[in-house]
Amino acid sequence: MSKIDEVAALVEKGKAKQIGAAVQEALDAGCDPNEILNKGMIDAMGVVGEKFKNNEIFVPEMLVAAKAMKVGVEVLKPHLSSGSTGALGKVIIATVAGDLHDIGKNLVAMMIESAGFEVIDLGVDVPIDKIIAAVNENPDVKIVALSALLTTTMPSLRDTVAALNGAPFRGNIKVMVGGAPITQAFADEIGADGYSEDAASAATLAKSLVA
Amino acid sequence: MIIIGEKINGSIPSVAEAIANRDADFIKQRALVQANANATFIDCCASVPEAEEVETLKWMIDCIQEVTDLPISVDSPSPDVLIEAYKFCKRPGLINSVSMEGDKIDKIFPVIADTDWEVVALCSDDTGIPKTAADRLRVFDNIMAKAKEYGIKPSRLHIDPLVEMLCTSEDGIAMNIEVISTIRKQYPDIHITAAVSNISFNLPVRKLLNMSFTVLAMNYGLDSAILDPTNRDMLGLIYATEAMLGKDDFCMEYIEAYRDGLFGPKK
Repeated sequence: MSKIDEVAALVEKGKAKQIGAAVQEALDAGCDPNEILNKGMIDAMGVVGEKFKNNEIFVPEMLVAAKAMKVGVEVLKPHLSSGSTGALGKVIIATVAGDLHDIGKNLVAMMIESAGFEVIDLGVDVPIDKIIAAVNENPDVKIVALSALLTTTMPSLRDTVAALNGAPFRGNIKVMVGGAPITQAFADEIGADGYSEDAASAATLAKSLVA
Repeated sequence: MIIIGEKINGSIPSVAEAIANRDADFIKQRALVQANANATFIDCCASVPEAEEVETLKWMIDCIQEVTDLPISVDSPSPDVLIEAYKFCKRPGLINSVSMEGDKIDKIFPVIADTDWEVVALCSDDTGIPKTAADRLRVFDNIMAKAKEYGIKPSRLHIDPLVEMLCTSEDGIAMNIEVISTIRKQYPDIHITAAVSNISFNLPVRKLLNMSFTVLAMNYGLDSAILDPTNRDMLGLIYATEAMLGKDDFCMEYIEAYRDGLFGPKK
């Protein structure tokens, strides 16, 4: 097994305690840091996401995989040219005003980050003007991802997307939405660019939106 | 959770027959299924007259060690037998058991003092099994004084508060819980064990009572149990309870045991 395959296997199994040493070994063996990141980690998280989508693994297994990757990235960072992590661009993520749920939103943030984006997490119960302000402060942002978990906060999601759709920067960003009661039909109706039903699909969707 | 697999015990009729016929395959099979079910120790009890016990245990221990590297819980009511039989084990295991009855502790503790052997200690003494929590805890204190005297650390002790049948108890398991929780508070590193199935004697659908007891007792500090690890519902319940008690980060052990097919629908 190559050193990079070893890193990938540890990411897939979520072995946060062992991954630091494995990344260091790969570096010592002369592996290209970018290849460790892309093949050893981002691709491995792709495999994890695929398994999750196919109901082969459970949520905590995805969680520990992403945590392991994070630990590995810390070891790798000093060896990467700046901008290598988060190379796919910035994503702003938030749970909309009136909704306090963060577990699903955090999972999505984690999976999007693991796919190679830089994630700006605005948290939960985020008012529209705060989201608009965040986009204005980060003119290079590629995607705004919004979550609503309750049927009662779906109108808030609708208002938030409407505000983004009316903003002058709208042509520069993509808007994706999700949450338990949200459907593709609702996403289309309120004028979002994309919808996904779970965290792994959200990462795939984000990649396709910037492709 | 430490699981002491109880399936190799001469008090079980089929095991007694296998011992009488020296049916090695039967014993090995029982050792193997318990090892595959993630037992921590394989209990080995001959239940034969004392004159034949050492020789019988040797044969049984040899059988077990042929198929698994798991440590053995050498089980006999006789301290003299235990002192002879533990020598047949290739690696340190568990002496099952001592109590404050007679000179049991004074015979066993010095022998295992400088080893890695662990030991089950029952909360009974020459007065029998005390009726109240206070009296059982008094026996426990005497056990700990002896352990200290011989330099045996709490982490090598499995204290058995002596679970008795629920159907004749006047306060359910309240007295057991008082003993378990008091010991746990005093000694965070000690093991507290129980022969779980005692709780359900003389009642129907014993499995439910055994499972209910296990969950409740784990909540107060039980971390070791003598039971049948091939009971899939019980094993799954134990993994589930450990997760509930915050002892299983991200439920990874629960998931892994499920993947290993230890509980849930048979694959």
